[in-house]
Amino acid sequence: MNAFTLIAKKERRALLQNQRGLAWLLAYTGILSAFALLLISNRELSLLDNAQVVYMMAGTVTAAGALIAVIMGADAYAGERERGTLVPLLTAPISTGELLMGKAAGLASAWGIMYLLAIPYLWAVGAGGQNLGQAIFYLGLFGTPVVLGFGYLAMALSARSGSVMYSLMTSLIVLLFSASPLLIGPGLRNSAIGKVLDAVNPFSGALNTYDAVIIDSDPLMSQLGRLALVLIWLGLMFAVARLSARRPVFR
Amino acid sequence: MKHFKYLLASLLLLSSSLAAAASLQLQLQSDTANPAHPTMGDWMHFNSVITNTGQQPIEGLVAWISLVEVTPGKEQPMDLEDWSAHKAVTGTTLQPGAVLQTQWPMRLIQSGDYRVVISATDRNNKTVFTSPTLQFHVAQKPVVESARILPVALGIPLLIGGLLGVQKVRRWHKTG
Amino acid sequence: MLIDANHLALTLDGNTILKDVSLHMKKGDIYGLLGPNGAGKSTTIALLLGLYSPDKGQLQRFSEQDTDIVAIRQRIGVMPEFAGFYEWMSAREYLVWYAGFYGGLQAQPDSLLERVGLSRTGSKPIVQFSRGMKQRLALARSLVHAPELLILDEPTNGLDPRGRREIHDLLIELAKKEQVCILLCTHLLDDVERLCTRVGIIDDGRTVLEDDLEHLLRDSGKPRYRLHMTDTPEGHPLPPLVRLLERDDAWWTLEIDLHRGMTIGKIWEDLLNHGWSFDEIHIESNTLEARYLELTGTKKPVQQEKAA
Repeated sequence: MNAFTLIAKKERRALLQNQRGLAWLLAYTGILSAFALLLISNRELSLLDNAQVVYMMAGTVTAAGALIAVIMGADAYAGERERGTLVPLLTAPISTGELLMGKAAGLASAWGIMYLLAIPYLWAVGAGGQNLGQAIFYLGLFGTPVVLGFGYLAMALSARSGSVMYSLMTSLIVLLFSASPLLIGPGLRNSAIGKVLDAVNPFSGALNTYDAVIIDSDPLMSQLGRLALVLIWLGLMFAVARLSARRPVFR
Repeated sequence: MKHFKYLLASLLLLSSSLAAAASLQLQLQSDTANPAHPTMGDWMHFNSVITNTGQQPIEGLVAWISLVEVTPGKEQPMDLEDWSAHKAVTGTTLQPGAVLQTQWPMRLIQSGDYRVVISATDRNNKTVFTSPTLQFHVAQKPVVESARILPVALGIPLLIGGLLGVQKVRRWHKTG
Repeated sequence: MLIDANHLALTLDGNTILKDVSLHMKKGDIYGLLGPNGAGKSTTIALLLGLYSPDKGQLQRFSEQDTDIVAIRQRIGVMPEFAGFYEWMSAREYLVWYAGFYGGLQAQPDSLLERVGLSRTGSKPIVQFSRGMKQRLALARSLVHAPELLILDEPTNGLDPRGRREIHDLLIELAKKEQVCILLCTHLLDDVERLCTRVGIIDDGRTVLEDDLEHLLRDSGKPRYRLHMTDTPEGHPLPPLVRLLERDDAWWTLEIDLHRGMTIGKIWEDLLNHGWSFDEIHIESNTLEARYLELTGTKKPVQQEKAA
């Protein structure tokens, strides 16, 4: 078994066989369940269009995915350093690239599990409505680069700083900044600055795509610009992580 | 002479109010496409016809839709905020004999018994004209989604919680 | 030569950590790397393991042709100072997993655990291990792939005297029977004196001494005495063959050069004739500690007093 596989396997086991990892998944499904239960208990919410609900659910899954990615990424190097397990990894016959990709594979596994867990929720709130299949597809196509990108960002900060606190806080600030256009009103979003922010923000890109595809039934071709945005985000963050992981802080 | 003046004034007043009362005629009908047994979440459409039956043009016409709940014990006027985005027609001028047809869409947000009415007035008239009311019943929405949502919303966290429990038991067995 | 490091220098974040470090190990050596805190020992080890690249100097591990650091690490076992593990794993699981980086375990995990004194703990979660047990597990981790070179940083940390002795015996066995080369980084001079064949002392980023331990102790050969002085005449220096190393109130530590055919009796006579008097004499053995302290400036020899 090569080093990449060993590390990826360990990361996956840490998520599924470790109490802490399962607790995170429980919290994640708790959020989705709370939202789903609100839909049947709250009259106003229960009357929303299926498409609107599916859109909201997809956005929630993407946000939760990015949050978990940031937490796992911040722990990837700095957490190992603080627990004394980084040096054994760095002194084993593993290249820095293999270590990074192994960690990334662990992150991707976590997102994969979250994605799979989200599908029954999407079906539950959206079956019988429009564009459920598209919602599931686009959540994977756009959600994955956004989530992994945030994971790579957090890993880069983790390797460079050697501090979980610093890398987590900084990544969370970037995540919140990305999510902020969605919190401000449509009026501000339509301003010049709002439009620029929307155009370069991968998180907005994903959510705007969900809106366009799930609610407005737009085709894939109309979303190619946003697809390019999220893929550029992923590529950029991967490059930053790769550079930082070459000489991680270990003392 | 004094009596005659009073009589003349009364006749004039009566004739003017008679003329005003006769100037707008409102009709209201439920659209034929409306569901026979409306349920929460359904859309209904109401069609009104406003006719200027007077001799003078109606200027600054305002017509609006009102909804009242008449469910026994819950009688109240309804805020149409969530029910309808099309709440009024304004600024129209209606020539004598002219007709204004308007469709009023409405989403049924809440179950219960309701009456809908169209009211109208104009800039010169102190009278508010109303259409006949239409009464309808909105049935409670059967929560069909709960059959899908409940098993997922409760089942998946339970499954993961169960896995957590199994982990704990396994660990306990391992260490003895 | 297993490790041939010459005049290594390294600056990190603007700080010059290593200025001139040299280290030479051959097959069969048990090398003790000594130095005060902050001298650069751990940084030197990090250089050897390829975690840093030297700014200056030459570094060769195993042979000139071996330049791929990943391949070099295949032949090295490392026990860092602070032993960290994935505590949700059991000891056995962890060793098997870690050995995967080296192509698998060279022996059964339980026999490896037994070797380091952790019998019957294979299925125990590491979270339940004491500090000493984790230290032993760290040693086991460094041996999973039967390395040619073992680098140990404070290997007996957290171990009781019996545990220390067991680890010593294991290291000696590894060196003698399995020809494992050992680089031992430690503060415990007793461990170095007991185990090592070669010693390197680093101070302030420089190698101040590197020699076989036998030579080192033999060449520090001038006898030392500790005298309780009752009278020290003003204005009279010590005889030429006598050097004052340390003075602690009335206790003087003297180094006596007997190579010129002098006897110790004649030295005492000389001292007494010059007005020096003392009521106690203790012989001090030439220890590694004394040499270490001398070289690292912790207690430099006191200058001879001149006549007033």
